[in-house]
Amino acid sequence: MYLMILALAIFIITYVLIITEWINKMLAAMIGGFALILTGILQQPEAFSAVDWNVIFFLIGMMLVISVLKDTGLFMYMAIKTAKLARGKPLLIMIYMFVITAVVSAFLGSVTTIMILVPILLLITEELKISPVPFIITMVVASNIGGAATMIGDPPNIIIGSATNLTFIDFLLNLTPPAIITTVFSCGLIWLMYRKGMRVSTENRARLLSYKEDNLIKSRKKLAIALGVLFLMLVGLALQSVLGIQTATISMSAGLLLLAISSRKKVEHVLTNDVDWVTIFFFIGLFIIVESLVKTGFINMLANGVVELTQGRAKETSLAILWLSGVFSAFIDNVPFVAAMIPVIEHIGEVAKQITDINPLWWSLALGTCLGGNGTLIGASANIVAVGIAKHNGYHIRFRDFTKVSAVFTLLSLVICTFYILLRYF
Amino acid sequence: MQLAGFLDSRMILHEQRALDLDTIYQELVELICRYHKLPVSCPELMRLVRQREEQSRTAYPSGIGIPHVRLEGLDDTLIAMSFLQDPVPSEEIKVSWVVMIITDKSSSNTYLNIVSALLKMSRDPELMEELRQQNDGHGVVQVVKQHGIEVKKEVCIGDIMTPSPISVSPDTLLSKLSLIMSNKEISMVPVTDEKGRYLGEVNVLNLLKVGVPDYLMMIDNLNFLLSFEPLEHLFETMDVATVGEIMETEEPVLHPKASIVETVALMIRHRKSFVSIVDEGKLVGVITATDILHKVITV
Repeated sequence: MYLMILALAIFIITYVLIITEWINKMLAAMIGGFALILTGILQQPEAFSAVDWNVIFFLIGMMLVISVLKDTGLFMYMAIKTAKLARGKPLLIMIYMFVITAVVSAFLGSVTTIMILVPILLLITEELKISPVPFIITMVVASNIGGAATMIGDPPNIIIGSATNLTFIDFLLNLTPPAIITTVFSCGLIWLMYRKGMRVSTENRARLLSYKEDNLIKSRKKLAIALGVLFLMLVGLALQSVLGIQTATISMSAGLLLLAISSRKKVEHVLTNDVDWVTIFFFIGLFIIVESLVKTGFINMLANGVVELTQGRAKETSLAILWLSGVFSAFIDNVPFVAAMIPVIEHIGEVAKQITDINPLWWSLALGTCLGGNGTLIGASANIVAVGIAKHNGYHIRFRDFTKVSAVFTLLSLVICTFYILLRYF
Repeated sequence: MQLAGFLDSRMILHEQRALDLDTIYQELVELICRYHKLPVSCPELMRLVRQREEQSRTAYPSGIGIPHVRLEGLDDTLIAMSFLQDPVPSEEIKVSWVVMIITDKSSSNTYLNIVSALLKMSRDPELMEELRQQNDGHGVVQVVKQHGIEVKKEVCIGDIMTPSPISVSPDTLLSKLSLIMSNKEISMVPVTDEKGRYLGEVNVLNLLKVGVPDYLMMIDNLNFLLSFEPLEHLFETMDVATVGEIMETEEPVLHPKASIVETVALMIRHRKSFVSIVDEGKLVGVITATDILHKVITV
């Protein structure tokens, strides 16, 4: 009991530091993790084996793949081509960019997508002489919706996929449909919200149409190789259960192959600049911290509490998880939240006799955390990154202004997911 | 080592006539050839002096011209000089004292130290006047001896920097900064306050960056953009923005006592070809990589 309180205290201090960002979140997670070992709550071997190396190496592999993919210029090409297809009309650009952002996020993750597409968007709106702010907010929303669509989209899904035996195909069958439905409804909402008020002169439109986006594809050969390897990786992930190969091995194989073919002369550059070690070590710290809560029995206590509250009924538990994680993720980083929730759901599966199929709980968690990230400006990393880029370019997006828009989309998406879960699983 | 020890009173002239630099060099070369046995002929030495002169300028702002030739197998350092009644223009500098130095190919360090001693002398108007007053070379050697002018063992950056460089204040408008940069053909200007205290520096890239927003820097391939309005219209914004908004404040600086190797290493490490020289918080000079190339490497 005493150990549980100590572990919980370290957990709470660490999470407060992560949420408030008083110190770097990776530093907070690592300090918390090793404090648990120092205080003897966890033995070092226990702490190290708590780290889900499948997640860690999967992330590193994906970062390697993405570093080569984004070098091909394909995504910038898509963005500019889209803006041209919209013939420079702001509302169409916004809707097309929303869809492109969602699609790209499903494969590259929301943060990378935002880092590639927002600078292009800023360029386009500068040329069109319109405010980029509504575009940026809707693109962030799209990135979080897109990230929810696949197992490789957003970190919460990667962690859930690794902790359970749910496959890439399971994610595709269960999460892609609600993500698509949400995207469609969100585009309708954009039309309702922004259909008036954005005007662009013909001259400025002409500037945009003069872009030579074909120049962006520097080497067709490199693009073909990168897309080929990406395709192989997706096939590998789809056949994961048949092949019996774990996801980390698949993504690392793809990443290392691309590194060897396309970037072998700048391996050190890729490893220092394109692999986000801060995120990697943040995850490692989190896994250790959550393990201490499992070991000291706090997670079991929490899970029992949830089961008692919902009386162990599957439908109620699912919806509770969806909305709780939606609300929580709106305010705290969704990765630490998911890391802590996974053992809770595992335990619920064990104790709640009435729940025969635990999978809807996982889908609720995935949808809730990914989509809840849109709830406020601080809900997901992509939001913070996008607002940061905007700020560097002279556009201050205030918490209130962001949240006013994004919360509407979040509410819409959580309502859609509620119906989806009720209709599909119960 | 005393500088006087390097001087030969027979090779010191006080030139009353108005001559051009080439004729003065010719006179000095003839003097050197008369009193010393050289590994090359006199016309060949003159050819080398002219060739060196074409490679890079040898005149310094304090009005001293130092033509210099390195000879294979000379194994000595020969100095001939001429004080000119009528200063001769060389580029933008009026040269009133020509000191020709002939050294061995391997002795660039001694040469640099002599140059540094000569430069220091040339910046002392009283001493220069005293030297001009002398009737012959013997008198000049005596004055140099009396003043105890030393040839230092090591050259420091303070000896070869451009002293009291142009500087701007943080309130300087960018339009004025760009005028200074293009008129003076410099790509870095130190920033100081009204008391001459060093605050930072501003380079031509800081200036151009005003027209290139942050988001463009995040797009790693811009070859699809044929033109970009803010960059082309940069000059319209330059009448409102000031140096203080774009200057660098974290750039490394050097003390005038810093050695040449320290300076070169700093330049390479930080990819800077310009370094401000700061002494007790005050800007005292600027050194450029080209200065080092001209004054140290290609000597």
